[in-house]
Amino acid sequence: MNTALATASPQSAIGPRSIAGRIGLLPALLVLLVASMSAVDPQFYGINNVLNILRNASLLAIVACGQALVIIAGGFDLSVGAVVALASVVTAKTMAATAAAFPGNTPLIIAGGVAAGLGCGAVVGLLNGFCVAKLKVSGFVVTLGTMSATAGVGLMITNGIPVYGMPEIFVKGFGRAQALGLPTAVHVALVVIALMVFVQRRTLFGRYVYAIGGNVDAAVVSGVSIQRHIVGTYVVSSVLAALTGILLTAQVGSGQASFGGDRMMLQSIAAAVIGGVSLRGGVGRIEIVAISALFLTILGNALNLLHVDSRLQPVFLGVIMVAAVALDELSRRSKARV
Amino acid sequence: MSDLELSVAAKDTDRPKLAPGRWIWSAVLPVALVLLLLGFAAVDRGVLSPANLLNIAQQTSYLALFAMAQTVVILTRGFDLALGPTVSMVSVGTALAMAGATASGHDIGVVLLAGLGAGFALGIACGLFNGVVIALLGVNPFVATLGSYNIAIGIATTLSSGRPVQGVPASFSQIFYSGSVFGVPAAIVITVAVGVVLHLMLSRTVFGRSIYLIGTNPRAAAVAGLPARRILVATYVLCSGLAALGAIMMTARTGSGEPNLGGALSLQAIAGAVVGGTSLAGGRGGVGTAVLGALFITILSNGMNLTRIDGYVQMIVLGAIVIIGVLLDRLRLEQRQ
Repeated sequence: MNTALATASPQSAIGPRSIAGRIGLLPALLVLLVASMSAVDPQFYGINNVLNILRNASLLAIVACGQALVIIAGGFDLSVGAVVALASVVTAKTMAATAAAFPGNTPLIIAGGVAAGLGCGAVVGLLNGFCVAKLKVSGFVVTLGTMSATAGVGLMITNGIPVYGMPEIFVKGFGRAQALGLPTAVHVALVVIALMVFVQRRTLFGRYVYAIGGNVDAAVVSGVSIQRHIVGTYVVSSVLAALTGILLTAQVGSGQASFGGDRMMLQSIAAAVIGGVSLRGGVGRIEIVAISALFLTILGNALNLLHVDSRLQPVFLGVIMVAAVALDELSRRSKARV
Repeated sequence: MSDLELSVAAKDTDRPKLAPGRWIWSAVLPVALVLLLLGFAAVDRGVLSPANLLNIAQQTSYLALFAMAQTVVILTRGFDLALGPTVSMVSVGTALAMAGATASGHDIGVVLLAGLGAGFALGIACGLFNGVVIALLGVNPFVATLGSYNIAIGIATTLSSGRPVQGVPASFSQIFYSGSVFGVPAAIVITVAVGVVLHLMLSRTVFGRSIYLIGTNPRAAAVAGLPARRILVATYVLCSGLAALGAIMMTARTGSGEPNLGGALSLQAIAGAVVGGTSLAGGRGGVGTAVLGALFITILSNGMNLTRIDGYVQMIVLGAIVIIGVLLDRLRLEQRQ
């Protein structure tokens, strides 16, 4: 009897609280935000605003998924914002060049541009991963360096001038198009999120990433090849950032070295962290990160609709970020004491 | 030979064995600095002119101050991403306070005091926020200072409405920028003075040594009974206080409160500290590494400017230098072990 009680009571005590701490809090906040905004301002649930929110949230969510993977493995990727810019510029340039060489061959032009964009993302990711895993330089410093270098390459290619010359259909038929009533970026984001959730839950790669972030020594002893998987996380992060750059390019209709930037990088880290990814590594779930990206986007949109001075808005983001992590930390401490 | 003499002799024979390796590695950066200067001088004679050397020294003094501030927290395994926005916020706050005091007809002494008071108060408030969130609430320094990064940017742009704040009295610029002591510009004098005091503090006081111990081995620090939390809060306050001083010096240089003054300073200051050999793993580095790193980055960008290397190429070079600098540092560490 006693043992049954003892085993039963901690479960009932921890169960609700851990659910509230891990999953329940963010969706609850999201619902609260949506409900109160809908009550305050009917413009909020207007179809245009909703589509706008979804489009922006999709772009952020894709970058944040990659960022989350790197953080779960115990790293950092400061270069994602610069990769968004580089991929945008390279995609547009390649498309313009291919269009000049093979006029009219639209499938080739688009395939070439997208491949070049994703390719340059993969190169940056490989470089990051190589420096972190093989040369053992701290991820923060490596990606700080590649952030500066990548942004420099993007600006050098374009001299800071937007790049035009992409096929009409890439912009009108893909970037600004809608399918089933939703912008294409949303479909892409949903596919990416589903894929990443699958990778995280059901593949060895995903499980090893948790193992490496949770306890490197234990992972080494268990025979996980650390270096290859760390390189993998950085490549995934950079390729996803490049994908966001391509989506943004298709939507705007030109390649610009000013896309992404520090803002995108900081927001992706904020989304991951508010979504419960621990900077100590080993903890975090992609789907929550995606919800957190949606939350951040809606928050920004709500502040705009409420006519909060755009200059004051970063203050809200900062306070919410610190509060979310502090709450998480405090709840962990109280759990540890019990 | 007595035992004492033996042990002394043993020590003496020990030293030369270790010395060459250490000596070579710690000389890498200074030698690279000299080579860099000579290389740029080969392309453009003007690099080594007295006027440009003074210019380099003056430019270095700002970055060195920020790198020192960053080093103090990096020693404890932290860092301060909010340093740049803190600089912007302090710049705006200082300028607003001085403009306000001037407008209400106070004399210049009160005006200067109001400016300095407001600037340091804002800086210290930011440091307290960082320190309390990191040390008492246990939030990771990256998240905590990323939060205050956003908060400080918001405050700086809101206070200034996004525009430069005018009304900085000329005597303020005279004291902190164009003034000089025996022909040495004010910025250099202030940075050298701060550097000396900070060096003594880090190497000779219990507070300074505690910072190193917390960075090297937090557990040992706790076992030794150090008030680790209080010390951590103090390091963040010190970091933001130094950033505020740098912001005041930069405000004097521009002659107005600039909401974008901090810009990329957070990362530049981290790069300066790290290139100089400060370890992000904590416990290694000091005033010397911060100054060396700041000097290296300043000479690099000054030389590239004078030899007309494209600004975008400079970004790429700087990125590569940061990674190579840290890589060299790691190799140096392995060599020792």
